[in-house]
Amino acid sequence: MSNREKLLRNLSSVQFALWELHLYLNTHPNDLSALSMHEKYNLKFRKLKEEYEENYGPLSPRTGEGIEWLKNPWPWDVGGCDG
Amino acid sequence: MWTYEKKLQYPVKITRCNPKLAQIIISQYGGPDGELAASLRYLSQRYSMPYAELKGLLTDIGTEELAHFEMIGAIVYQLTRNLSRQEIEASGFDKYFVDHTAGIYPVAASGAPFTAAYIQSKGDVITDLHENLAAEGTAL
Repeated sequence: MSNREKLLRNLSSVQFALWELHLYLNTHPNDLSALSMHEKYNLKFRKLKEEYEENYGPLSPRTGEGIEWLKNPWPWDVGGCDG
Repeated sequence: MWTYEKKLQYPVKITRCNPKLAQIIISQYGGPDGELAASLRYLSQRYSMPYAELKGLLTDIGTEELAHFEMIGAIVYQLTRNLSRQEIEASGFDKYFVDHTAGIYPVAASGAPFTAAYIQSKGDVITDLHENLAAEGTAL
């Protein structure tokens, strides 16, 4: 696994936890421990996202434009039979 | 509104193509209980939901289903990339290929194209939640 893939995997795991907490908070909006966990993971996520984007380019159009945004690979490009 | 994040929710990296498998998996893309149907179901039902908790939940889950839709598209794409003529014919993928070549098109495994008739949105909270339970109960 390349460094890029490792970092992306790490970022995605934190993002997964963050998102699950967010879903939970829809129906438990006053759960203080879930809210503080969300804050913790959000901080982690933002740091990892920044690290990823500094090294491998923008993940969203807000963090990079033009040639940087268009740069390959696109998410579905990595993998498959190349002949 | 939505914004795009240039990553998959979970990475897809397939090392061997398998057009036979792709023909089954594509049902999760454009079939009756696939990700596109799920996404449209939730994102359409949310307007008439009377409670904020459910408006929030359906918005988020409908959004997440779109991320699943993208992962399934990536799977099918990678499974059918760079096929030889012989692989296409031997796997039975030729029936899809004749209309779409290597393009990713929302169909069920049977070949039926995606239709909104797969979903329901009735404006009643209990009815809609029942429809969702039935659809999720068959999800792969």
